[in-house]
Order: sequence, then structure tokens, then C-alpha cells
Amino acid sequence: MVREYRFQLYGMLAYFVVLEILLAAAILFWPDFEGNLDALRSMAPLEALKGIVDQIGEAGVSAYVNGQHFFKGCNTVGMLAAVIFAMGAVAGEAQRGTLEIWLARPLSRRRILLERFVAGAIAVTLPVFVSSATVPWLLDRVHEEMEFRDLMLGSLHQSIFLIAIYGITFFFSCVSSRPVVIAFVMLMFTIFEFALYMIQDVTHISIFRLADIDVFANIGATHGLDLRIVIPMLAVIAMTLWGSLAAFARRVP
Amino acid sequence: MDLGPRGVIGLLGPNGSGKSTLLRILVGLVRPDAGTASVDGTLLEGDGTAIRRRATYAPGELALYKELRADAHLEWFLRGRGRESIARARGIAEQLGLPLKARVRTFSHGMKRQLVFAAALAPDVRVRILDEPTEGLDPSKRGAVLDLLAADARERGTTIVLSSHHLGEVDRACDRLVFLSGGKKIADETPASLSARAGRVLRLDFPGDSDRSRIEAALHKLGGASLARLEVTADGALRASLVLDTDDPRPFTAKALASADLPRPRAFEYGRLSLAEIYRELYGVEGC
Repeated sequence: MVREYRFQLYGMLAYFVVLEILLAAAILFWPDFEGNLDALRSMAPLEALKGIVDQIGEAGVSAYVNGQHFFKGCNTVGMLAAVIFAMGAVAGEAQRGTLEIWLARPLSRRRILLERFVAGAIAVTLPVFVSSATVPWLLDRVHEEMEFRDLMLGSLHQSIFLIAIYGITFFFSCVSSRPVVIAFVMLMFTIFEFALYMIQDVTHISIFRLADIDVFANIGATHGLDLRIVIPMLAVIAMTLWGSLAAFARRVP
Repeated sequence: MDLGPRGVIGLLGPNGSGKSTLLRILVGLVRPDAGTASVDGTLLEGDGTAIRRRATYAPGELALYKELRADAHLEWFLRGRGRESIARARGIAEQLGLPLKARVRTFSHGMKRQLVFAAALAPDVRVRILDEPTEGLDPSKRGAVLDLLAADARERGTTIVLSSHHLGEVDRACDRLVFLSGGKKIADETPASLSARAGRVLRLDFPGDSDRSRIEAALHKLGGASLARLEVTADGALRASLVLDTDDPRPFTAKALASADLPRPRAFEYGRLSLAEIYRELYGVEGC
């Protein structure tokens, strides 16, 4: 079974390394960042970015970590990982022609699909938790600290957001045989959503509002998840999984 | 259609005749538009998992995970079948001379086919469904595969359904031959009966401008033979292919020559046909 999920395993390790390098570099840069906040604010080209710098200036290192790790690192690398792990889940098998032997074993389609969904979901989320767990140690290098519990809650929120993206891509994979097209569509969607996020008048409709610094700051302030955001995201995951199972049940190799 | 129990059943027909579709339906890979199917007493329901637990299936399409080593691929195939099946599959693969430590990407088409075959033959099940198990194999490997299949059916009492579009390749292992054409069963007989008929085929070539209906009626009136086909040949003759009731063609030939209802044949041809030829001769379906 480990062999079957080798791609997810190696992919997850690579994704974790990238995430951890970005995180370590960001945290070790914190003293310089903190000392140059005014200059950075004046250099920010967009109001949205100025707002982020302001938030960091007010809340300190926790907002900085939330911004660097969750908003920047996990949202970009994590979404990329989510799309990569999901796009080929079924469509890749169809494109390679291995869908028939995949389905010919004495395992139910439901089990086969759920196994693959869970394996990819773990690969997408585990690096988020593990890298977040290293934050206290990294912050200690720059004489700062953050609540471990808040980091784990932030990781949980981030993971739910990433699994929702993963679930949407996974559904496309269940109904398509062209993983590259799926990746392209998701890439365009992500760029579009990020562009929306950067425009002040429409930023509130961007999906990135569901996992930006404000959200993680709120988690830190309340020490709990914002259910108004989490429940709809869980609903999206449930719907995409249900849709994937339904599509896969009818899929002809 | 009722196949089995026990023995090797060859499902034959040209490309597009519905062989693979039928086999895929039996193991739940394709949903039937209508009708029902059961394998080893288990009704096809849902995605066919219950049937795939009772039967092995070797697909005709040969797309494998090239990055895996052969023994790892066997394990992958046999997930859910138990360690004994994996050990047996390794034994079969070694018997066929497959390098189990080599990656599948280094395998030829025929070697991949044998790897899939080893995985399908290993589990202790009562039914094996094999889509073109000999396709792409050289004659010696084909013989080895068919011998293993025949031995499995004989010694373990399994029912083996295999498809092929080359009758001559698989008939030696089959206890029964089922012919499909255009999604329909057109014949179901034993190799022995087919072979006996192959030895009693008489071809009569009449002038191309002969009256077809008159010839049909006259041949029917003569008795002693059944008309299998009446067709125009490439050289313009109207050829009647008949299967005689007896091994001696002379009485029928004499009656045909003496018949006032029949035009005088341009040529006679009598003799043993190969199984592939008789398939074409009797059913008019190319490809076997």
C-alpha cells in the first residue's frame, strides 16, 4: 500500500521542505522586518498590502507569522500541492490507461476512491501542521514566542481551506481524463481569486478572504475556529467528496 | 448465455464484437444497459466488488505502472487476495521466465501480458475472466500460458472464460467455443464438433449470374448437407459453402451434378479447413 501512495509520500516531503524553508527564512528575517516597518509600508504598491503591513505593525510577530506562514506559504505552496495531488487522482489513471487495472482488483470503488482522497488530503495537510509545530522553536531563535495551540488551530483552519480546494480539484479529476487541463483551470481560478483579493472594492468576494491574516488573527484572539467560515468550507468538502464518489461510481475505464 | 461451470471457455469474435464489453460487464467495470449477470452464483450488483472477490480478471488493455518492479506490481494486483496468492503469482511468473526484480518499464508487451496473466491465475478463486490472455505472445509463451490455463481448469476445477479474436491461437486449451459478432452470440459449440464440421465443408462455385434463390432451394431440396453461406467471391463466382452430414462428399457431389435444378458448378472444393477458416466459412465473420 505504501508503494501505491509513493507519489503522495515523496510529494508531501518535498512540499514540507519548501514550506519549512519559506517559514524559517521568514522568521529569521523578522528582526529586520520589524525594524523597517515604516519603510516597507511606504514601498507597498497596493492598499491591500499596506493594510497587511499595518496589521503586522499592530499585532507584532503573530500577525507576521500568520501572514508569512499561512497566508503566503500555505496558501500558495499548499494550494499548488492540493492541485497537484488531486488533479491526477483519477484523471491521471485514465490518461495513463491504468484505470482498468486499478478498478479490476477486488476492492470497491468507494474504498479505492476514499483511500486516494484521504491519502492526498493527508499529504496536503500534514506538512501544514508539522511546519507550524516548528514555529515556536524558530521564533525562539529571534527571541519571540507564539501560542502553540493557536498555531495548531490556525493549521486546522488552513487545512480545511486547502482540503476544500483539493476536493474541488479531486471532483474535476473524477469527471475528466486530462489532468493538465484541470491544473490549468485551477491555476487560472487561483490567479483570478488572488487578483480579486488585491482589489479593495471586491476583495471581500475572494476565496483568499477565507484564509487571510484577519482570519488567523481572529483565531489567535478567540482561541477558537470561526465556524461561520469553517462550516461552509466543510460543506464544500462534503459536497465535492459526494460528487466525486457519485461520478467515480459511474466511471467507465 | 450460460458459461461453465468448469473448463476453459473461449469467447471468440472479431474486433468490436463485444467480447471485452461482456467480460467487463461480468466483473462490474461497465454497467449493462439492460439485463442481469451473475458469476459463480453472485448476482452483478453495484460496482461488482462481490464478483471480483470470487473471480479474477485480466484486462485486455495493457497499461501498467511502469515505475514499479514486477514483484511489487504483482503485490499491487493482488491486494486483498492474501499472501498465498502473491507467492503463487511469483511462482507462475518465474515459471514463465519473468525477471521479477526488473522494473515494468523494461518489459516488452508480451512480458507485461504474462505478468497480468500470473496475477490472474494465482488466486484461489473458482472463476477467471481473461481478456485476450495470449495477445502479443510468441508461440512458445502462448503454448505455456494455454497449458497453465488448461491445467488450472483441470486440476483446480476452475471456470476460465477467455477472449480472443484468433481461434487458432486458443482452441487447443478450450473446452467450449462461443462466437460473438455484433454483440450477439452466433454459435456455441465444442472444438471437437467444430473440428468435425471443418472436415466436412464442401464449396461449390457457380457462375456469378446464377439465380441465388434457385440455388438455395435446389441445395435444400438435395438434402444431406446444410448451406452455411452463399456469397459472391472475388473472382465473380457465386460460392455455396455447405457442411455435409457425412464424411464422404461423393454421394452429395454426385447428386449435385445430376440435379437439373442447379446450374453446373464451375469448381468443387472439399477438404479439411483450419478452425480459423471454418469460422470465416460458417459465420462469415472475418478476424478469427
